[in-house]
Amino acid sequence: MQHIDMKLLKSIDLFKDLEGGELGQIASILTPVRVTEGETIMRRGAPAQTFYVVLSGNYMVYFKGGQAFTLHKFGDVLGWSTVVTPFYYRATTIALTSGDLLSMSRLEFLRLVQKNAVLSGKIMKKINEVVEKRLYFLKTVSGDPD
Amino acid sequence: MADLLVQFLQNTGYYMADYRHCIMIIVGCVFIYLGIAKHYEPLLLVPIGFGILVGNVPVFKGLGLSIYEDNSVLSYLYFGVTKGIYPSLIFMGIGALTDFSTMIARPVLMLLGAAAQMGIFITFLGALALGFDPKEAASIGIIGGADGPTAIFLSAKLAPALIGPIAVAAYSYMALVPVIQPPIMKLLTTRKERLIRMEDPREVSKQEKMVFPVIAFLLCCFLAPAALPLLGMLFFGNLLKEAVVTERLAEAARRPVIDSVTILLGLTVGASTQADRFLKPESIEIFILGALSFCVATASGLIFAKIMNLFLRQKINPLLGAAGVSAVPDSARVVQMVGQAEDPTNFLLMHAMAPNVSGVIGSAIGAGVLWSFMV
Amino acid sequence: MNGLDAISANNGWNIAALGITIVFTGLVLLSLAISQLHKILTLWETKHLFYEQVKEVWQKKRTGVADDDRFLAEEQPPEVVLPKSLKKSADQFNILVLHLGEPFPLPKLLELAIKRGLDRPHSTLNHLIQTKLIVPDKLGFFHWNEKVYNCISEPEDE
Repeated sequence: MQHIDMKLLKSIDLFKDLEGGELGQIASILTPVRVTEGETIMRRGAPAQTFYVVLSGNYMVYFKGGQAFTLHKFGDVLGWSTVVTPFYYRATTIALTSGDLLSMSRLEFLRLVQKNAVLSGKIMKKINEVVEKRLYFLKTVSGDPD
Repeated sequence: MADLLVQFLQNTGYYMADYRHCIMIIVGCVFIYLGIAKHYEPLLLVPIGFGILVGNVPVFKGLGLSIYEDNSVLSYLYFGVTKGIYPSLIFMGIGALTDFSTMIARPVLMLLGAAAQMGIFITFLGALALGFDPKEAASIGIIGGADGPTAIFLSAKLAPALIGPIAVAAYSYMALVPVIQPPIMKLLTTRKERLIRMEDPREVSKQEKMVFPVIAFLLCCFLAPAALPLLGMLFFGNLLKEAVVTERLAEAARRPVIDSVTILLGLTVGASTQADRFLKPESIEIFILGALSFCVATASGLIFAKIMNLFLRQKINPLLGAAGVSAVPDSARVVQMVGQAEDPTNFLLMHAMAPNVSGVIGSAIGAGVLWSFMV
Repeated sequence: MNGLDAISANNGWNIAALGITIVFTGLVLLSLAISQLHKILTLWETKHLFYEQVKEVWQKKRTGVADDDRFLAEEQPPEVVLPKSLKKSADQFNILVLHLGEPFPLPKLLELAIKRGLDRPHSTLNHLIQTKLIVPDKLGFFHWNEKVYNCISEPEDE
């Protein structure tokens, strides 16, 4: 398993409110992933098993009707459907450039929920902020994301 | 030579098998399929399913092969079930794995865990009405606790002959929590209720988390000493987790110990379901009562949450009541799923963990109480 | 014996009533105890907590400033000067956009670029977005920014 720098983790918006021990727990279930230009990271309709945090690179997220947005910032979250019912990806995500991501599997996240509910609650809250923004986008663009 | 061959053939499983063995082998295969293909509690259903296959290969008596024969390998492994050793060790692992902070932050949610235990006692009455003796009825009732180790522990103490069907029923229904609970939850709550958002719980200090297992252990076990083997190990495991300095022991309890014991428990419980002992009318009654028990437990939690809302200023989402059955963390996940079906931005998972873990404590107390009444 | 008679004969009603009462009593006792626990511990730990709170406030202030700096750095306007090859790509993408009409779906533009065999379509598209040659509307579709397109220049040394 590759070592994840705690300072890097702390600088990510999703994890900035976590304390030392909590960051350690998160680090143990995160896996760094390298993606290449043009790679499909998640496909609409597939079971949502993994969510990602952007470290570098540029990504395009697009929906059934052709609506899209792009993500370029360090700390952006991809694949929030992993924690939102009905647990399948609502959009396809493509890497526009090569980049680095941190991935967390759904199963590991659920284990974390049992092991440390408060910690997972903090992360859920942050993801919730992303979900609210994206759902607003979804409603704006189509009314029916799927 | 020909006699020897005939004798050998007569001792093979193919010769000795009858339709009951075939039925049980199909049941075992279904368990394995559900575990692997459908991901229904694979860590439990796969060992149990394979155990059913192991237990239903026909063997001739006297060679020490059957789980019910003295000195057989399987009977030694089964010793941990019949003496209640495996359930206690699993409870230690659960304690080392579980975070009680959401429950500590909002103790009022513990009442939902207590209310869901109504399922145990109502099913106990149902089993008595169907003609089971009180010890068997108590063992069947505990299926409503939605806690496999607790159900095995109590039936090992009170009705060892029923361990197989009770364990299989308990684990089957635990695996089916995502199927059984949602319709009841939707039936007993309105959309408005399902949309209720929970306030963030307060932060729980490390000291609180450390003191909690000691206080909880003393309070619960002084009240129901018969729950000592389960609750003692649960809170001991939790103390290992929270004490920080014993992290190595906690890690051992939550991974290697619980995993090893789960393998042994699953395999031997499966192997105990030999066709001649399992395929009886009582088993069907146990399965029906088990399903009833789960439904009543879920409904009791939901209704109690609605009653609590009549008195609480800050309303709680009644879906949390369904998490009072102690299938950790599955029933909490179901609450999250049903809540999110109404509002994708409503996160109930963390809050549902409070009644969920209190359900574990409640069902262990319930088992202790029933045990003490029956001896 | 079956039915209600069996329940009565085995003392079932009493066992069930007493059983659920004991479970409730146990959990109510526990909930009362732990609801007071943090108050007792807070009293015990007041000094320490006060120190931590002050420390937390101080740390939050520090990290808050640092974040603002990073945010400002990220919001710097993008470089509008395009390398020669990208200028050429911009022209090619412009033709594709004219073909699609406006507003256009971004994935469709990418698909067309791939089909036409444009050089590194993904990263080129990204560059055009970063330089605001392609800009999103609020409905999830995109526009070609003629103003920027007319202003772009090639680097002198190329």
